[in-house]
Amino acid sequence: MNFVAHFDVDAFYASVEIRDDPSLRGKPLAVAGSSRRAVVLTASYEARPYGVRSAVPLYRALEACPDLVVVPPNMAKYKAVSREIFEIFGARGLPIEGLSLDEAFVALGEMTFERACDVARAIRGDILAATQLTVSAGVASGKMVAKIASDSCKPDGLLGVAPGEEASFLAPLPVSRLWGIGPKTQAKLEAAGIVTIGDLAALDDAPLRSLLGSWSEQVRSLARGIDERPVESGRETKSISSEETFEYDVRDEAQLIALLREQAREVAEKLAREDLSAQTVGIKIKRSTFEILGRQTHLTEPTRDARRIFRAAIHCLHRAELKGAPVRLLGLRVASLVTGEPRQTGLFEVGR
Amino acid sequence: MKFTCNTKDIASAVGAASKVVNAHTTVPILSNVLLQSEDGRVLARATDLELTLELAFRAEVSEPGSVTVPAKLFSSYLGNLPAAQLEMSGTPTRASVKCERSNYDFHALPAEEYPPLPAAARGSHFTISAKRFRDAIDATIFAASSEEARGAVLMGTLLEVDGDAITLIATDGYRLAKHRTALDDGISGQERYIVPSRALAEVARNLGGAEKIAINALGAANNQLQLTAGDLSITVRLVDGQYPNYQQVIPAKFDRSVTVNTASLIAGLRRAELVAGDRASMVKLAIANQTLVVTASSDISGNAYEEIEIEQQGEDLTIAFNARYLIDILNHVKGPRTVMEFLGPLSPAAIRPHESEGGSEQLYVLMPLRQ
Repeated sequence: MNFVAHFDVDAFYASVEIRDDPSLRGKPLAVAGSSRRAVVLTASYEARPYGVRSAVPLYRALEACPDLVVVPPNMAKYKAVSREIFEIFGARGLPIEGLSLDEAFVALGEMTFERACDVARAIRGDILAATQLTVSAGVASGKMVAKIASDSCKPDGLLGVAPGEEASFLAPLPVSRLWGIGPKTQAKLEAAGIVTIGDLAALDDAPLRSLLGSWSEQVRSLARGIDERPVESGRETKSISSEETFEYDVRDEAQLIALLREQAREVAEKLAREDLSAQTVGIKIKRSTFEILGRQTHLTEPTRDARRIFRAAIHCLHRAELKGAPVRLLGLRVASLVTGEPRQTGLFEVGR
Repeated sequence: MKFTCNTKDIASAVGAASKVVNAHTTVPILSNVLLQSEDGRVLARATDLELTLELAFRAEVSEPGSVTVPAKLFSSYLGNLPAAQLEMSGTPTRASVKCERSNYDFHALPAEEYPPLPAAARGSHFTISAKRFRDAIDATIFAASSEEARGAVLMGTLLEVDGDAITLIATDGYRLAKHRTALDDGISGQERYIVPSRALAEVARNLGGAEKIAINALGAANNQLQLTAGDLSITVRLVDGQYPNYQQVIPAKFDRSVTVNTASLIAGLRRAELVAGDRASMVKLAIANQTLVVTASSDISGNAYEEIEIEQQGEDLTIAFNARYLIDILNHVKGPRTVMEFLGPLSPAAIRPHESEGGSEQLYVLMPLRQ
């Protein structure tokens, strides 16, 4: 049997800050920018009972948790730690599919379930020893179950889902946990009385098809724990994106801009990690009506500079002419990626 | 309103004004050109609210007044008239034109609804020779950004007025153009204005035979600039923002330089660029033994090799540039010989004419390609 492990550092930015300043330990902590419109990037577990989590506007977080300690993000440091962690993921020569700075799939390969859990446990131990950070891990026969498993055992957990147990592991979870089921589809399914993944897995062809159309079989396979997508390590990156669904609709443009600033930074980090530059920048907006809106712009020179990407994204946002209309999801995407090309250096680049 | 004029005069004034009109405007009157007849002349004015262009032409005015006509339509109509005399009359809702045996009525909009020019609350005032200002514009605005996503500041050109001198600076973040020249009448102290580059392009294009340009800061917050020269008057809203600290990116000192025949270098680069085309237009400049070797290569096209004689000072160097940026700059270098100065393969290079012309100083800075 082939196994996949999913690793995700617990409250990554916050944990790095606590590690480097032990006086923060045990306190509700949020890593967030300093502007009045900033959003929380990561919250410590102590802050989460107050509803403080990523993408929540900082002012709301402070209302909900007046004792919240706010630390500004230090991306250079997180990036350095991320590099250490990815070196450990890669140290066993296994294929890795990085999802973000602190999250990756590792293809464990053909082995017994017990052995797969041991390898995942060893990788967690190595990361803890090297970085003093805890990582949660999920082990399963497929990527989706592995990811849901690691999400379920956070923080500092390891959860293996044994072969044959996938469907029963998934069954009690809400359908929204399945890949590809967004809020709109979830609402449609719930209206038809399908609330859990188990409900969906038990459906016959005809009713499922009438609800979900052409991809119904794919979704049901996932619901039954059948997931054969491989870990794609060397996949050629065509575009890189970052998106965030809000817990409530956002009308405030300044808040959207603050999020785009963070997304630009994140996308720029990914570009740098893959040694890529992008010449197209676009945004995706899902309105509260679920209508999806896209705007993109082409740059004169490819870039991986977060500020350039941010400015281009703001330009796209203005062109979208939202005029205060409520937004449910905001995403930033870069494409037209080049690598190995001669790169035009800039007069005002930082660190030139 | 009623006047008689030459078709060529009105066609060129209305044609120039209509270029300012924003084809996508949703405000009907902004699609129109305003014609105002007064003593012995008519003013043709168009605006997109950022940029207002007004050109005067000679006319025999029998009834002073104003009319507004759809700019594109009217300009196309005038462009198709033969050289002749034309008689125009207008009411708030109609503009009538008679020319030989052609007789047209255009739908008009009331002139009172046309946006007025800003109240001329004067700030700083200075004048400059039209030729020198045109040279400065030609030498710089091409280097400004054309990418809206980079923002209005880099799409603008910075005018730095300091006593009796004016410096124009334009940059898109990859290359920078700087041109300093003398004013006729300067100011006491210093002023900085970020002017939309397209406004300066309109100034250069429509100067005609004017000898002098008068420049005034307008508006309560000095947020507009008015440039007048002969028949032309352009009013432009200044860009609100912080211009990047350009002085900081121009190296104070270089340790290597070459002097080269401008035309030979342009010709060599143009040929090499054909081959470089598909790799960020990269050309490599290898400087050694008083010779500049330009090379380019690509898997698709092949290899290019050009040898150009130079005067070399300082150590050897190999540096890569985007050929397009380098050619653009060299095309604007005034003078048969160009000086290029370097610090290293990843540092900004300076490019300037070997001899400065008419007391003006011209300088370009170009960032290299990282291979």
